[in-house]
Amino acid sequence: MSKKVLDALVAKFGDAIEKVEQVHGDEVAWIKRDKLTAVATALRDDAALAFDAPVFVTCIDRLDWKPVGVPPSEAWTEDKPRFEVCYQLRSTKHKHRIRLKIALPENDARLASLTPIWVGFDWQERETFDMYGIRFEGHPDLRRIYMYEEFVGYPLRKDYPKDKRQPLVRRPDLV
Amino acid sequence: MADLKTLVLGRKDVADLDEETELPHELMTVNMGPSHPAMHGTVRIILTVDGEKVVKSDVQPGYLHRCFEKESEYATYTQIFPYTDRLNYVSPMINNVGYAMAVEKLLGLTGKLPARAEYIRVIVSEVSRITDHMTCVGASAMELGAFGPFLFLLKCREWLYELLEKVSGARLTHSYVRVGGVAKDLPDGWTDELLYTLSQIDPVLVEVEGLLNNNKIFFDRMNGIGRMTREEAIKWGQTGPIARACGLDYDVRKDHPYSVYPELEFDVPVGTRGDCLDRYLVRVEEIKQSMRILRQAIAKLPDGPIMVDDHRVALPPKRDTYNTIESMIRHFKHIMDGIRVPAGEGYTFVEGGNGELGFFVVSDGTGRPYKCYVRSPSFVHLQTSGNLIHGHFIADVVPIFGMINMIGGECDK
Amino acid sequence: MSEPSNNVTLTIDGKAVTVAKGTNVLEAAKSLGIDISAFCYHPGLSIAACCRQCLVSVEKNPKLQPSCQQTVAEGMVVHTTDKQSTLARKQQLEFTLVNHPIDCPICDKAGECTLQKLYFDHDNANSRVDTPKVHKDKVVDIGPHIVLDQERCILCTRCIRTCDEVAHSHQLDMANRGDHEVLTTAPGEQLDNPYSLNTVDVCPVGALTAKDFRFTMRAWELDATPSICNGCATGCNIEIHHRNERAWRLVPRLNAEVNKYWMCDEGRFTYHELHEQRLAGPTLDGLPATWERALKAAGDRLGAIKDTGAIAVVLSATASNEDNFALAKLALAWKAQVYVGAKPPVPSRADDILRDADVNPNSAGVAAIAAALSITPKTTTELETNLGTGAIRALVVLGHDLPLAETARGRLKELDALIVIATHERGPAELASIALPMAAWAERAGTITNRQGKVQRMHGAFPGPGQAVPGWEAVARLANATGQKLSWTAAREVFKDMTAAVPAWKELAWTRDVRPFALRFAGSRG
Repeated sequence: MSKKVLDALVAKFGDAIEKVEQVHGDEVAWIKRDKLTAVATALRDDAALAFDAPVFVTCIDRLDWKPVGVPPSEAWTEDKPRFEVCYQLRSTKHKHRIRLKIALPENDARLASLTPIWVGFDWQERETFDMYGIRFEGHPDLRRIYMYEEFVGYPLRKDYPKDKRQPLVRRPDLV
Repeated sequence: MADLKTLVLGRKDVADLDEETELPHELMTVNMGPSHPAMHGTVRIILTVDGEKVVKSDVQPGYLHRCFEKESEYATYTQIFPYTDRLNYVSPMINNVGYAMAVEKLLGLTGKLPARAEYIRVIVSEVSRITDHMTCVGASAMELGAFGPFLFLLKCREWLYELLEKVSGARLTHSYVRVGGVAKDLPDGWTDELLYTLSQIDPVLVEVEGLLNNNKIFFDRMNGIGRMTREEAIKWGQTGPIARACGLDYDVRKDHPYSVYPELEFDVPVGTRGDCLDRYLVRVEEIKQSMRILRQAIAKLPDGPIMVDDHRVALPPKRDTYNTIESMIRHFKHIMDGIRVPAGEGYTFVEGGNGELGFFVVSDGTGRPYKCYVRSPSFVHLQTSGNLIHGHFIADVVPIFGMINMIGGECDK
Repeated sequence: MSEPSNNVTLTIDGKAVTVAKGTNVLEAAKSLGIDISAFCYHPGLSIAACCRQCLVSVEKNPKLQPSCQQTVAEGMVVHTTDKQSTLARKQQLEFTLVNHPIDCPICDKAGECTLQKLYFDHDNANSRVDTPKVHKDKVVDIGPHIVLDQERCILCTRCIRTCDEVAHSHQLDMANRGDHEVLTTAPGEQLDNPYSLNTVDVCPVGALTAKDFRFTMRAWELDATPSICNGCATGCNIEIHHRNERAWRLVPRLNAEVNKYWMCDEGRFTYHELHEQRLAGPTLDGLPATWERALKAAGDRLGAIKDTGAIAVVLSATASNEDNFALAKLALAWKAQVYVGAKPPVPSRADDILRDADVNPNSAGVAAIAAALSITPKTTTELETNLGTGAIRALVVLGHDLPLAETARGRLKELDALIVIATHERGPAELASIALPMAAWAERAGTITNRQGKVQRMHGAFPGPGQAVPGWEAVARLANATGQKLSWTAAREVFKDMTAAVPAWKELAWTRDVRPFALRFAGSRG
């Protein structure tokens, strides 16, 4: 849709961008974890980019990633990062969009929160924390949003069984 | 006697008080919901109030969380349509259409659907949009005491539900759209019935506006309440009628047109002050614009197939299924394996009743999605409601909440 | 400029790929993610190239070549998406389907059928003929375990090659020719070799179906969990196909070093015992009891004698490494005598294909653990003697394979305590004063060691019945009830301690638990 956004990004941040690609007409940029805040701030403040509206944030758990119809080497293996946090941004002025992706390893699923930059990511980062266990550092109020506080585990992770029950009220018929 | 009073009341007698004496007071925590008549769709707000004024609030969604995303990962693409119905359950067709478009994008079928299928999708989406706005306006009015408009609007809504029931078989849980088109064609004479119904709705809208627009009670309760500026709306990611009421001119149908919207003429109402009254006015105007779209779409509705002619997504006709092995196998694989979507990911968004409704689908080449994330506008809007009610009275929580139109199913997924 | 002589680089659909010399073009394409349709090709069998489904265009070759038979050559250029070869493959599928019966709703293979998969992926066109289909025999009983449907057969000859090359017995053959060619048994033969059910796995369609599985369960409803067969010491790698906490069949899983693609018929039937006569809850003196009561009784009865060396412990060659390690550690703490219980060998089974005479899955594991902990386990004959002399006052048995003579079994009733940790209500569990329920091999994560010394990881498909727990956990509970501290909470922790103790296993790592995979989305098997 707008390749010049990606070109501008790469020109400005060279080493902080691991990869850019266009997937089905969406622009996607892979950012290095420790450079995220710098890149995000520039995305908002730069006049030509002007990404002022947050759209969504979510996470992809690649644990079961074994795609069909592509070379077998694309499948996930233990040495690849397990989580991909995706931020989608929109520019009200220029009407272009971008998706930022940050790869996180399983044993260190922390990321700088982008709520200080775009406050609209507040609850969605809470949701990503609740469902995937990604800790957003700098988030004003990182606690569970959908699940109750006593819930153990992160339900949308691929290794959380779909039919597991954690009732707060003990029911003999559910064991 | 005076000593006892001092002992019990801890202060001097009222007669001894003067203007400088401050009465003791403290903040009170009040719980609203989740089971509350005005908390549409189970939301809990813990209010800290100073008298009647809200000082702090903690909005807690999640009481209707039904694990849409987790279930989607274990169902085929077609099996997810009933789940999408139950997201924004007052405008289910729009959810169906948005999700179908997300899958079609990954299949490379965007823009390749037959024209009749696209027009039917637009028609049912706009009918759903009207029902959404009618429910919101009607319910909010009722909560402010205006019971008449509620009944009138729900009567109109019921006419539209009957029409949608003729098309899909259900009032609410349609599952009507399929990847590549729609499930069944419109019944004979349906478009004429719809035109007639629209002509019946026109006078009802006039009546409702007459009851509400210049009504002093309604006006005072909605005017200036829950103000949001345009900059706040952008910052907070607001879209849809709420953002447009603040002056943010963003409508997916105009800014990123999809389906056959470019061929239809309509206006997008934009407010100025961003308060509850503007949101109400924007919604009523949108109902009228949707009716305008419907009249054009019905006039332009072409004949033709309602499903794309692609064996990857279309089920074979039943006569072939039962008589040839090829169609039997094709039917079988469609149902059992699901539509095989090539590995990839894409974010597709449509203009839902509440704003930008997006589906972020990640597929791994099999018949079920690897991830199907819903960018639900209600969820994003609900997070501002905490800010909007600060400084207002408890009674103002009702119109603010009503006009945000948080649909529980969409917010909690 | 010397190239390594065992690698070849060729181009398939414009992409270069380097593979080992001798690879066929079909496998080379697979490594690029290009899926060429094929019926008769199977990586574990000889090449027949009779189905002509895998035809591709090879440059400088005027005719299309079967990619399963075409070996790679340096600089070869192959096209699979060109019009000619694509049309050839579509037409081949069309031919195959002309006489194929419309049996999908009643065919067992539906859901895992290669013909369904290849038609949908590579053809997907409507039928062009309207002539009546050729009819052949439908329900032919060709052996004790298998039923043949001749109409569904697509004449790929995989089953014939399986019997010839894997089972080394020629029991199937093709008869007649043209439209009337049928699969049939070889003259005077039945399909009764001990590896006959492998033909059901390799059959791409529902022509050969297993009597054990026919019409019991639909393939798309099943979940698959990888595990290891517990039928004998070979330790074939298998998948448990289960649904609703019940196993419905076992199928082999590829392991190039142990069993390749195959397993024996007896091993396939071992899932039946998972659901028969299971011990679901603890028993105390023959009556059902809770775990607390049973453990308390165990603690009381063993408490008096536990330091006197009058306790004997029987390890099990059918239980996992972790279960045996836990019990061996407890035996050391009690200074108990250690025996090993095992099923007696069946010499008639031994062949040089897969089956082993030792029908215990973990004899090697028990031996390795005992050696590492400096224990010399005594035999069951010595156990019978010692039971007679009264040197043993309490016996703790893991598993239920304890073949004892009649007199010795009578002595079991006179012990202070006979504690049996078992899966089934038979053998010593029937005589036990305290029986503790154990999860069976399909119900717990763990490892066993096969006759080659390989430690193989098993995954649990569903939880055990009632209050059954994995063997090591039952041992740990028993230990804690008698005052010994064994504080494991997961099989992973037992594995860690165990591999630290056994030198040969020092380098082994615990792999992540595998969740059951829905067979519905696995494409097809075979």
